[in-house]
Amino acid sequence: MSAGSRPQLGPGASARRAFAVSAGKAARRGTRRLGKGNGTTVPGIVTLAIDPGALAGLLAEISRGAVLVTGSNGKGTTCRMLAQVMRASGLHPVINAEGSNQRAGLASTMVAKAALTGHLPPDPRAIGLFEVDEGSFPEVLRQVSQPKAVVFTNIFRDQLDRYLEPAYIKALLEQAMQTLPADTALVLNADDPRVALVAADAKNPRLYFGVDDLELSRGRADPTSDFPRCPRCEGELTYSCVYYAHLGHWACRDCGLARPQPQVRLTKADLSGAYSTRLLVATPIGETALEVPLPGLYNAYNALAAVAAATQCELPERSLPAIERTATAFFRMEKVRVAGHDVYLALAKNANGYTEVLRAVLGDHQPKQMLLGLNDYPGKQPDTSWIWDVDFASLTGLIPAPVLSGNRAADLAVRLKYAGWAGPGDDGGLAIEPDPVRAFQTALARTPAGQPMWVVSTSVVLSEMRSWLAQLGYVREPWREQTGAGTWRA
Amino acid sequence: MRISVCCLYPDIMSTYGDRGNVETVLRRCGWRDIAVDVTELRLGDRLAPDTADLIVIGGGGESQQHLVAPDLCKVKGEGIREAVARGAAALAVGGGYELFGRFCQPQRGAELRGVGLFDAWTIRENALLSGHYDTISEAHADRVIGELVVRWRDTLLVGFENHGGGTYLGAAAQPLGQVVSGHGNNGDGTEGVILGSAVGTYLRGPCLPKNPALADFLISAAVRRRYGAADLPPLADGLEEAARAAAMQRAREAASTARAKPRLSALAEAGLRHRRHARARAAPAALRGSGERPLAGGETLHHGGNARPGGSR
Repeated sequence: MSAGSRPQLGPGASARRAFAVSAGKAARRGTRRLGKGNGTTVPGIVTLAIDPGALAGLLAEISRGAVLVTGSNGKGTTCRMLAQVMRASGLHPVINAEGSNQRAGLASTMVAKAALTGHLPPDPRAIGLFEVDEGSFPEVLRQVSQPKAVVFTNIFRDQLDRYLEPAYIKALLEQAMQTLPADTALVLNADDPRVALVAADAKNPRLYFGVDDLELSRGRADPTSDFPRCPRCEGELTYSCVYYAHLGHWACRDCGLARPQPQVRLTKADLSGAYSTRLLVATPIGETALEVPLPGLYNAYNALAAVAAATQCELPERSLPAIERTATAFFRMEKVRVAGHDVYLALAKNANGYTEVLRAVLGDHQPKQMLLGLNDYPGKQPDTSWIWDVDFASLTGLIPAPVLSGNRAADLAVRLKYAGWAGPGDDGGLAIEPDPVRAFQTALARTPAGQPMWVVSTSVVLSEMRSWLAQLGYVREPWREQTGAGTWRA
Repeated sequence: MRISVCCLYPDIMSTYGDRGNVETVLRRCGWRDIAVDVTELRLGDRLAPDTADLIVIGGGGESQQHLVAPDLCKVKGEGIREAVARGAAALAVGGGYELFGRFCQPQRGAELRGVGLFDAWTIRENALLSGHYDTISEAHADRVIGELVVRWRDTLLVGFENHGGGTYLGAAAQPLGQVVSGHGNNGDGTEGVILGSAVGTYLRGPCLPKNPALADFLISAAVRRRYGAADLPPLADGLEEAARAAAMQRAREAASTARAKPRLSALAEAGLRHRRHARARAAPAALRGSGERPLAGGETLHHGGNARPGGSR
């Protein structure tokens, strides 16, 4: 069934769809009223239990098809940037909220958009834009009849206890790609050898994006990287330039396979700002200067992915500067004003994420007051060993007297000690306070008047802190924000 | 003083923060004014047995094991066995531990011949079934994932385990320790292996930072091998002790959750474990080497948490 054509359901199936959607909506109201979270998965589960075809059916009603964004890091931010470009181009992107990136979450999103009739309101300008959890990509892809494009940001080692090794993720993605319709475009990160050759034998149109500013090269291999092998022959890869982790200009020593030449290129970047980044991006149509309101190289990659996807979707070039209006989402350098301080909340959920967030904030080499958090999810994701792959050693001295929080704060303290931040009989000014709220208060008390403070952490610490800030009225609950100001709304 | 550490395949076998083990050795030596020369050995590099005081190999997934196994056997194996015979210390973790044994039966393909340093072999449960996963959750269900606490000498080692293989020790092998909480080698109550000063273990996390006693055991052995004697001054390990205490608390919580599970599923798990052992012992006798060793008795074991879930595929 091609995108845009309204699927015809028989009267029985139609009634069932309407009932399934209504039940999902009721579940959404119920979970929110009970204060049981924001109802990101329950409505979808309810709806799909009644009508397993509801998700595919609703997605097929989006008149301009859908763009899927997947990968380890940067999915959400890339989507938010691309959504801005789509809006500036006169389209109405239908977006899933962050964290609703698996099948049930996506179904919840679509239930919320649907009318009680069980159908989406007709909208010729509607276009789907969904971030998809890389582990759930195969099952989500099966629901989307005609994806316009699939964007792959990168594949990092992420949550080993949940996703096992990158090889599994890559194999899973490869398997899913075999069912991809022939005209779906692939928008790929040329700098990531795990991504560049995805579905190598498929004839699908491919558009590559990559960084071509050699001044951003870190010069030496990144200590946090887990280098992949050659995607074709398993040979050893050599890099003429490494931007971060295993992203860079790579070539295989054995078979000669090399990074594809990207069509969308970052030709110049100024990453010295702790709050924003200046980029020059070249596309086949022309060159665009962007001031992205997010710091760090990883956000430059996100902007590049968004420009590439926009180029692939043939959105007008004049819409690209809309990326500059990308709002920070919660936990993505989200700014909160507390007691005379600007507090920035930044989520870091894996080794490369943690490293790059710290490098982004410390890009100006000025010491900053920080709270660093680490938690596990007992029984679900108990492994925090990846903190040993975070490049703390090169940042020694830039984060004086950090406060450590979360149920694994003690592990983080040991990690920092062995990174040289402390020593035997010298605590290096580390304060360990597992309770996120008390840690926040301690860290704020350590911050000089009027100065900013950064919280870099895994999610549980951030969530608990944010709930407390919400109770005090400093921030709104995330789901109210999503349905409120419009940052998240299609 | 100066010791030399050989890191095997740091670019390939370094899953689960394994670089932390080397960092721990470096720092704990540095704090004692012991200089450390680190040599990184990659595919094709030989190991000179008289220059290695400590050999370290980390974990890796199956694709990494396939990649390094032939090199480990043919290029480095003799050097490793020779070095340990001459008193070198070694730490082999996870996938590296599996490859330091006689052989390792991966999920796909023929068995991988190991270094043969340890009288041990590893079987992947699923290799004997279908050997193919369709989804992450299926792959997940076939692994042991959780906190692991092990009695070693007069102390407890803490860490995390995440492995799809069950390792069985031959009669000549001595387990590193007894499982207090978790799964360990194969669910029979043993964990790891020790031969002289060479240690193989499933303990990760990484294992040395939170187990300074084990780190110092390896450093002492390395110094002793170089200088004939070792007397390491103690270090203030307050942060490490706090992290150990927290790990033990997590293991206790996991074990009590496991004990609270319904009896039937516990029985099913025991049955599954029995079947698995029967199959593992039916491994080719020629590869298995010197055969069975009796289960260690007398220890009170509290298996909890990390038994393979489900497993009925």
